[in-house]
Amino acid sequence: MPMLKFIIKRLLLLIPVLIGVSIIVFVIMRVFSPDPAPIVLGQHATVAATEAWREANGLNAPLHIQYLNFIKGVFTGDFGTSYYTKTPVIREIMARFPATIELAVSSIIFASILGIVIGTVSAVKKNTVVDSAGMVTALLGVSMPIFWLGILLIILFAGVLHILPSGGRIDPLLRPDTVTGFYLIDSLVAGNMKAFVDALRHLILPTVALGMYSMAIIARMTRSTMLDTLGQDYIRTARAKGITEGKVIRKHALRNALIPIVTVIGLQLGSLLGGAVLTETVFSWPGIGSYTVNCILKSDFPVVQGVVMLVAITFVIINLVVDIIYAFLDPRIKYTREEA
Amino acid sequence: MKKNYRFLALALSLVLCIGLLAGCSGGSASTTATPAPTEATLADTLIFAQGADPRGLDPAMVDDGESSKVIVNIYEGLLKYAKDSTALEPCLAESWDVSDDGLVYTFHLRQGVKFHDGTDFNAEAVKVNVERQMQGNATTDMTYADFVYGYVTKVDVIDDYTVAITLKDVCTPFLYNLAMSMAAPMVSPKALEEYNGNLNENPVGTGPYKFVRWDKEQDIVLVRNDDYWGDKAVTENVIFRIIKDNSARVVALNNGEVDMIDGIDATVVDEITAAGNIVDQPDGMNINYMAYNTTSDIFKDAATRKAFSQAVNVPELVQSLYQGYASPADTILPSFVPGFSADIKQVSYDPDAAKTALAAAGVTKVHMISYSNPRPYNTATGQVLAEAIQGYLAKVGVDCTIDVFDWTTYKEKVKAGDYDICFYGWTGDNGDPDNFMSLLSDKDPAMNVARYDNAAYNDLIAQGKAAPEGADRDAIYKQLEQIQVDENPWLLISHSKLLSAYSPKVQGYYYHVTGNIFLSQMSKTN
Repeated sequence: MPMLKFIIKRLLLLIPVLIGVSIIVFVIMRVFSPDPAPIVLGQHATVAATEAWREANGLNAPLHIQYLNFIKGVFTGDFGTSYYTKTPVIREIMARFPATIELAVSSIIFASILGIVIGTVSAVKKNTVVDSAGMVTALLGVSMPIFWLGILLIILFAGVLHILPSGGRIDPLLRPDTVTGFYLIDSLVAGNMKAFVDALRHLILPTVALGMYSMAIIARMTRSTMLDTLGQDYIRTARAKGITEGKVIRKHALRNALIPIVTVIGLQLGSLLGGAVLTETVFSWPGIGSYTVNCILKSDFPVVQGVVMLVAITFVIINLVVDIIYAFLDPRIKYTREEA
Repeated sequence: MKKNYRFLALALSLVLCIGLLAGCSGGSASTTATPAPTEATLADTLIFAQGADPRGLDPAMVDDGESSKVIVNIYEGLLKYAKDSTALEPCLAESWDVSDDGLVYTFHLRQGVKFHDGTDFNAEAVKVNVERQMQGNATTDMTYADFVYGYVTKVDVIDDYTVAITLKDVCTPFLYNLAMSMAAPMVSPKALEEYNGNLNENPVGTGPYKFVRWDKEQDIVLVRNDDYWGDKAVTENVIFRIIKDNSARVVALNNGEVDMIDGIDATVVDEITAAGNIVDQPDGMNINYMAYNTTSDIFKDAATRKAFSQAVNVPELVQSLYQGYASPADTILPSFVPGFSADIKQVSYDPDAAKTALAAAGVTKVHMISYSNPRPYNTATGQVLAEAIQGYLAKVGVDCTIDVFDWTTYKEKVKAGDYDICFYGWTGDNGDPDNFMSLLSDKDPAMNVARYDNAAYNDLIAQGKAAPEGADRDAIYKQLEQIQVDENPWLLISHSKLLSAYSPKVQGYYYHVTGNIFLSQMSKTN
């Protein structure tokens, strides 16, 4: 059972990874962040009140004791309580995570489709006006800062044309009951098409703003791998067999060019979760990115630690799941002891 | 042809992960007390957009303005502020008596008032609310508990609708504390029991609106309390939307997506008015000042402090930095706070006199520290203000070095005291003059950043705290203002205005000087 061994080994590897991540985030927050007490206590943060608060929240204990308490909590599923809102960290995170995932997924779909189309067309029409237009679009995509593009989109589509909302996830009065936290899915579950359309309209601008960069990267990668593939012998052979040009491009060239593109898309999904910070702020998108930045600024240690641990766990598990599914689907990939 | 399994694998894993996360999100923090309003009520809805999520909705647990705006629409206290000032008016207490020694306050409560959960508001509820925040019971993160109830020694229920609160010392500001939106609003004792003493996500008060739900960082929905004891809310639903980015908030107003916004600055006023919306700008309950470190060698002498103040043309500075959205301050107290004196004037601009005095004193260099971010009382940032003052001081032959820090670090620096001049400000808590004037007598250097210590001043502060409201008490605060002018521990800069904006469709717009918005008597025409 090499697969089972592989899975167990990868799961066991999760432990040192999480310990490493937890130590790094713990030390960074404790060493580089300002004291949370005056932030939590606000205008009336007297020296005595600050000291009492630190004592009550265990911040006067030695660092290693604080770390052990934190780890003890993690193992019992208790990430602590937000200093600032007095709400359990896990609840704060789960209230926002679906919004970020919904935005990242829609952005990667947008970026993949548009990027592959632009890249393919550019490669096929190499050194023409179409190619130049495609690559200029890609250049704009990698060059424009997300927040600037976001504000431009808001001003144009919400401020001037009045055809799309300026921010938020949905009209509050149309919000479907929470089932999954993904409004597109929840509104379909509730059979509320009006809510679905409204959620979709809210998703368009942030998706474009966030996905633009990844779109550009994917378009460039697609163009270069397509150019490479189109020069291969088997493409010439396919053409010689009399297969139509469209079919040659779709079935023979693009299929084979997709392998590195898929890798790039996978990497971009990770970076989209990070890039969501700015998009979420500009579009008032209630996700985990902008929330975490706020918590870092407020030295809300338990929340920042919780988010980082959760994101680390998510990434490790996503990678594991991808690897496992590769093995199931592609018989050439085997996880023998040596390869794993 | 060989299929591309890798792509399929990625797609499948994505779906799996979404499924996994969807499962996790079952415990969403969005809390639902009653069903959300339906589409049919859309026309009867007011939407107010603010720049940040509230910290929470339990008045004992929060200290931020964003929480406060929601709280005042759900809860009420024993007293409330008058519409355009911080003068006191009855609310859940119809009247009150103060014992001759000034130590016992007896409140006669309004009858027939119910909390949103159907329980009665009565003397027992007041007792629970006060005792929850008294010394010994309050937790360290009840940031206003000590400020509001620090003097209280006991609460006695006289009968169902009479309650007596005893103080350890005479404290006239206590009554003002009871009108605050922090700590003072009455919460349902039953809800406290039900939610383990924390109503941050489950607010239950007596106010004109009831809580429906809060989707974190998105919106808070309230619905009219049809059992409200007073004038019932005109508009059935109100929604507080969170729009963090300032320009996006302005677009949302101009686009008609929201009806009212706040947290704006002077740079967007033209854009808002050009779109046909209205800008509201009452004076705010704040003071923006520059503090001389009175323990430093340079500024231990009042004459030097005054000479520095003479070097700065405050009206010109305020106009240039705040473009009319702040007024030059002649007094520490804003004009609507009881005890304000219109005839107090600060030292006037006289660079020649300043130059002479400073040359005679041999002052050529000072060390300033300031903050890099905007503050409610100084939207231009402390750095810009410091640099402007540096320019004025250069004209009188004084060379300033400025160190700028982010706000949190800055507060640590201020506490450490290694500066000649620092910049600070204050946003009033309770509308009582003592709240502003006592800063200069506070023993804590985090509060009294000038480290000013004057026995006569401290004595007057004690008298003001004990004196009953009226002309005699007002006279005390006038004397304190005069000492500030004569001794000049601070150079007063400005009172910042509270900028908010609303659609012309909104009727009865009411943004209070305390920075709260009261929505119950507002309406919106279609």
